[in-house]
Amino acid sequence: MAGLQAAGIFRQGFWSQERIVLGLSALLFLVSAIALPGFAEPANLISIVRSVSVLGLLAVGMAIVIIGRGIDLAAVAIMAMSAAWYLQMLNDGWSEAAAFAIALAAVLAIGLVNGFLIAYADVPAIFATLASGSFVFGFVRSQLITQDAIPVPAGHWLEQLGGVRILDIPAEVFIFGGACFVAYLFLRFTKWGRYVYFMGDNLMAARNIGIPVRPMNMLRYVLSAVIALAAGLLTASSLHSMNTRIVNSTLLYDIILVVVIGGIGLSGGKGGMRNVIGGAILIGIMLNAMTIIDIPNIYQNLIKSTVLLIAIIVDSLLNPRDEQTAQQGDI
Amino acid sequence: MNMQPVIEMRNVTKAYRGVPAVRNVSFTLLKGEIHALLGENGAGKSTLTKIMAGVVEASEGEMLHNGERVNFASPFEALQNGIAMVFQETSLVPSMTVAQNIYLGEEKFLNRLRGIYIAAQQFLQSLNFTVDPTATVASLGAAKRQMVEIARAVHHKADVIIFDEPTATLTPEEKRHFFALMKRLKASGVSIIFITHALEEALGHADRISILRDGELVDSGASADFDRDKVVRAMVGRSLTGEIYNRRRTTADLRKRGRQILSVRDVSMGSMVRNNSFSIFENQITGIFGLVGSGRTETFKVIAGIYKRDFLRGGEVVFNDKPVRYNVPVHAVRDGIIYVTEDRKLEGFFETMSIAENFHSGALAAGLTKSTFVSYAEMQEISAQWTKRLNVKAINDNARVVELSGGNQQKVVIGKGLAQKPKLVIFDEPTRGVDVGAIAEIHRFINELADQGLAVVVISSYLPEIMNLSDRILVCRQGRVVEEISPAEATEEKIMFAAVH
Repeated sequence: MAGLQAAGIFRQGFWSQERIVLGLSALLFLVSAIALPGFAEPANLISIVRSVSVLGLLAVGMAIVIIGRGIDLAAVAIMAMSAAWYLQMLNDGWSEAAAFAIALAAVLAIGLVNGFLIAYADVPAIFATLASGSFVFGFVRSQLITQDAIPVPAGHWLEQLGGVRILDIPAEVFIFGGACFVAYLFLRFTKWGRYVYFMGDNLMAARNIGIPVRPMNMLRYVLSAVIALAAGLLTASSLHSMNTRIVNSTLLYDIILVVVIGGIGLSGGKGGMRNVIGGAILIGIMLNAMTIIDIPNIYQNLIKSTVLLIAIIVDSLLNPRDEQTAQQGDI
Repeated sequence: MNMQPVIEMRNVTKAYRGVPAVRNVSFTLLKGEIHALLGENGAGKSTLTKIMAGVVEASEGEMLHNGERVNFASPFEALQNGIAMVFQETSLVPSMTVAQNIYLGEEKFLNRLRGIYIAAQQFLQSLNFTVDPTATVASLGAAKRQMVEIARAVHHKADVIIFDEPTATLTPEEKRHFFALMKRLKASGVSIIFITHALEEALGHADRISILRDGELVDSGASADFDRDKVVRAMVGRSLTGEIYNRRRTTADLRKRGRQILSVRDVSMGSMVRNNSFSIFENQITGIFGLVGSGRTETFKVIAGIYKRDFLRGGEVVFNDKPVRYNVPVHAVRDGIIYVTEDRKLEGFFETMSIAENFHSGALAAGLTKSTFVSYAEMQEISAQWTKRLNVKAINDNARVVELSGGNQQKVVIGKGLAQKPKLVIFDEPTRGVDVGAIAEIHRFINELADQGLAVVVISSYLPEIMNLSDRILVCRQGRVVEEISPAEATEEKIMFAAVH
């Protein structure tokens, strides 16, 4: 570090992970726009944003959980299975209102159970949500739905939602944007949003100053579950069906990738919706560029993981946890 | 004493992000001396010693070890050259045994535990340490851990041992033992540097004293040439001790007790709090003294709802004429009880957040803000108010708390609690790890609170603090309050006697 400091170019603290990600995105965008034919066309740009909408929406929920120091490994299972069951009920002839109410109630229940296990039974979040995710997948797949992929009934509002364009931009982009905005308002301007940050920073201090940490913990997992349901419906609307095999894909890790690469530390207390959007845009550009170059899926994973590692390493080099930042007290 | 310097530092400077923590310091350590290093928090004591021990590298200047120029790249290299440092947070492996810790890093490919246990036993005996070599470090108390650290340093044939605040976590008996040990090491020719906040320790046990202020060496000399006042003047640039610790207390200037606000009857929690009964009154400061393990912190954490008292036969707590049983702190906070923690890093402040956000968190959690929607203007207002009242010094309101000195961090934790408009304030070790200047300010502030009519409790294991702040003193032993003493007739011996016997 002494060398970098002496050079004086890299003022410490300036190159936060957030700025690195934005810089990388801009660089990647420029290179792709110049090198890849068709990349910079409006249609492609819209498809980039569209492709990350669902991922981004899930990342919004994950971000709320991670900022409060936790993790929700059940997000993808809840997303796929709740949407699939909802569609199954519709196909079985249930009324719209009843099917939706039941799906929503189920999702709330899963969120509450996750939150209860973590807050009151002291089960580590990673195990509680891993277990509940597997349970949700297994139970819904074996008991409640009949096949892997459930189609959206013809003429249903989800089908129409998939085709809605406002100013030539697909509706899901607005839904992602809206979710980010609402989450931003929640985290920054409501009492409970501030509590999320306090709990992520120092749980014991938060408890001592009188924050109801256990109900707040439950609230976060419930929010994450509800956002997952919304993401599931969004997926169904754009694909006109819900394929439950998505639970076994790398989607879950992509969500965490978006959150972490955007600069929300897994240790909690840091970051916000800006980071989610930054991370989603970088991943969106990357995935799109790789698809245009026609890189096979397995190599895409390799590249994604490498980028994540580089981002983390660069961050720790530029913002070292020396004794100035790592511990309090004496210099 | 041999006058040859073991370590000589010439014009050493160390800067973090361009800000010098140590500036142009020249320092010598003589062979076989005990050298105390004093200074306020952030004066650069730890940084200076870390340069010696190879933990950090100096930006400028040079260091001579036994007359040779050295530049240690790592603590390991320093250790090989005979310079060992014992850190504030001990650097032992808790899950390993004492013997394994002493011989850490020199295990053979096939490690025979019995062999090292015997070797460690002999070695510890030769140092006259009563530590079981087969006990795991996690099972030892602070004093014994320190013995293990020292044994490890001696085992590496260190001729220089640096202690960073060695006595902060020790009980009075353990301290006495520690200083006896330092004398023995000194007799065998080891040079010792120790950093401390307790001035008496430096004056009483060191051969020489060096004082740092704002990263510069302001005074250095034989400890016989120093007295309390001179040391404090050098540390803070003005005289303070009279203000802090030499108040004459007579019955007349003790505050009269106000209404009884808290009554604790027969409260028990596990094995730490046993059938404890006492009362706290408004309008005065109640000092709680007790050795580590006397259950004082636990008792008050039960009162503040942080711990739960036993469900059966847990006794009764009456606050404001109302029997209460808090399961979580939020109810206690809403009723007006706040607990200002002894471990501010672990459970006091929000380290990644700004001073303003910390102050605001207290008001927000107590429901004292104007609405559930967060107003950043209100946050600045609350912050400005408490920054001014507590005289928090920082570059600006957006400075993160972790970047502040210990004294200012403590003020932030106090302000965060007081922003909750409490009726009963419990300060647990309010001046631990706080520099002399800030101690005076915090004491003045605690007195102000009692003058305003609040019920104030100060838990402290530092006798002069208890004697000078309190209007009545309660002494704890083995999980209960055993004696009440008026400060007008208290002496250190009397209080200590009650706490031990």
